[in-house]
Amino acid sequence: MSTTVRYKNSVERVYTDGRDIDTEAGDLTGEAADQRASGSTDKHLKEQMQVWRQAPGPRTGDPAYYNVPMLNEPVWEWAIPTYYYVGGLTGAALVLGAASQMGDAGGRKELIRRCHWIGLIGAGISGGLLIYDLGVPSRFFNMLRVFRPTSVMNMGAWILTGAGGTAFLAVVLRGRENRFGAAGEIAGYLAGMFGAGLATYTGVLTANTAVPVWQASRRVLPILFGTSAMSSVGALFELLGGKGEERRLTKIFGTAGQIAEFAASVAMEKQASVVPRVGRPLKKGLSGFVWRAAMTLTAAGLVLGLIPKPTRRRRLAAGIAGTLGSALMRASVEHIGTASARDARASFQQQRAGYGAAEIARQPNQ
Amino acid sequence: MAASKGFFTDTTLCIGCKACEVACKQWNQLPDDGFLFSGMSYDNTVHLGGSTWRHVAFVERPVPLNTQTDGAFSWLFSSDVCKHCARAGCLESCPTGAIIRTEFGSVYVQPDVCNGCGYCIVSCPFGVINRREEDGRAWKCTLCYDRLRDDLVPACAKACPTESIQFGDLDELRAHAKERVEQLHERGMPEAYLYGASADDQPGTEGLNAFFLLVDKPEVYNLPPDPVAPAKKVKDAWLAAGAAAAGMALAAVGAVFFGGHRA
Repeated sequence: MSTTVRYKNSVERVYTDGRDIDTEAGDLTGEAADQRASGSTDKHLKEQMQVWRQAPGPRTGDPAYYNVPMLNEPVWEWAIPTYYYVGGLTGAALVLGAASQMGDAGGRKELIRRCHWIGLIGAGISGGLLIYDLGVPSRFFNMLRVFRPTSVMNMGAWILTGAGGTAFLAVVLRGRENRFGAAGEIAGYLAGMFGAGLATYTGVLTANTAVPVWQASRRVLPILFGTSAMSSVGALFELLGGKGEERRLTKIFGTAGQIAEFAASVAMEKQASVVPRVGRPLKKGLSGFVWRAAMTLTAAGLVLGLIPKPTRRRRLAAGIAGTLGSALMRASVEHIGTASARDARASFQQQRAGYGAAEIARQPNQ
Repeated sequence: MAASKGFFTDTTLCIGCKACEVACKQWNQLPDDGFLFSGMSYDNTVHLGGSTWRHVAFVERPVPLNTQTDGAFSWLFSSDVCKHCARAGCLESCPTGAIIRTEFGSVYVQPDVCNGCGYCIVSCPFGVINRREEDGRAWKCTLCYDRLRDDLVPACAKACPTESIQFGDLDELRAHAKERVEQLHERGMPEAYLYGASADDQPGTEGLNAFFLLVDKPEVYNLPPDPVAPAKKVKDAWLAAGAAAAGMALAAVGAVFFGGHRA
């Protein structure tokens, strides 16, 4: 049990674990007894207090509770958006690897190998990022103690495990002359299937929340994440500087992804803004700036990559712009979600406009 | 299985004493959340969270109550709590199965299983559950699971001096709540209504096991007007993911078809 000091600057300091329970007189056996205390009760001193010109009481026609957020905001920090990027890259590379296996007479051996290696390393990094972000990292395997289709995150844990496992088998076994070679071939195809899931399920994960802007964009988010994953593979291969067939192949895949990613971004803005207040974080503030920056970088990467007669330097620039655009897009989705969760009126207006539970009642067959 | 238990919080009886907050902290041995002066009326608790399982809202309205004879100001108090939704967003999203439905119909987070992934936090349409930074796990009201197993009333309901917080079998609570609304209507408060008392009232959550009697819009109390368990809409997202995955596979095969073979 940790003891903290309350009223640090007082002549009469108070030493407490935050519960003010005398452990000589009573036992700490309550439901939350093993919650750790904050360390300092003075942490609010760092917080900026809002100064009102007029107390924010309920307004007629647009009520809220002192502008306090109605939802609790996402606790995910940099590791999760980074995982969205790395996981997407991993997944799309495995899809490309599986497609390249089809009808290959040996000419694409190097490309396939690279894809499988990206899959294996990417899955490893993804796992690391996910574990890092957990509140209790040592309990990561609790994710795999159940199989729960209602939990998108549980499905994701299984998809990532599958993608990593099959990518490993493909790297180790594929191309062997013995009977294990065939197993490696099959593992490569399976990795492609898991990869397609890995690159898109994160969009479902984000969409399946109470955060108004994410919920409103649920039909676009998986497509945005999937297409962005494709463009990040294209950008990575630009950076790796492949040649000949590998170059043409990854170029087509990546360019298709970039065009589709840009289109999906535009579609997302439209979907999110059906209720204007909900779409606001995409247009205003830091979140809006990051979103615009991501779109600009993706467009820049696309244009740079399409200029004929590419030089080494231009390919590098296109690769960097594409990679940054793709990674920043995930970061901005996280940002707009946080901004949206902080805005109680976004939820209220969304639901009043008929996009709460009423939306389901309007849809037939559900 | 025992009959489903729950709370009926009659906000017209709440006097804003915060005895429920104190009783909850005390019984569950929750640590403090820092001592903060919010400036929002008498509400320095502000919101539900990892170590705040009851929260009394203090609404200052620039309009009189219907029964009020003078003045253009009125108070509304409401003790907020986890709603223990019949269809609970947190429970459905939990990837470890740490969040379960108990024999009392309540929603309970098993602290020895929770790994602190944080998905329940964004899945709760009411902003109830939260992760405690200090120990990394998600926490919320347990409906005093430990007390219920010993046939005791939850600490907040026990401490409430005006019976604003009522605990009991859900069927009985609902019947009683309906009578109370009718009574208030007769006494000149036609604006009184039940929030989340049944699946008809609130289809998105299929009814709350902790429901409320309110006299103004839910937004005024920081409650959503038409909340929905996110998983009710997830089919749209999975379909989009399917389309995206198919498109990606098609693009990859296309790239091999058009980009390959030429040497």
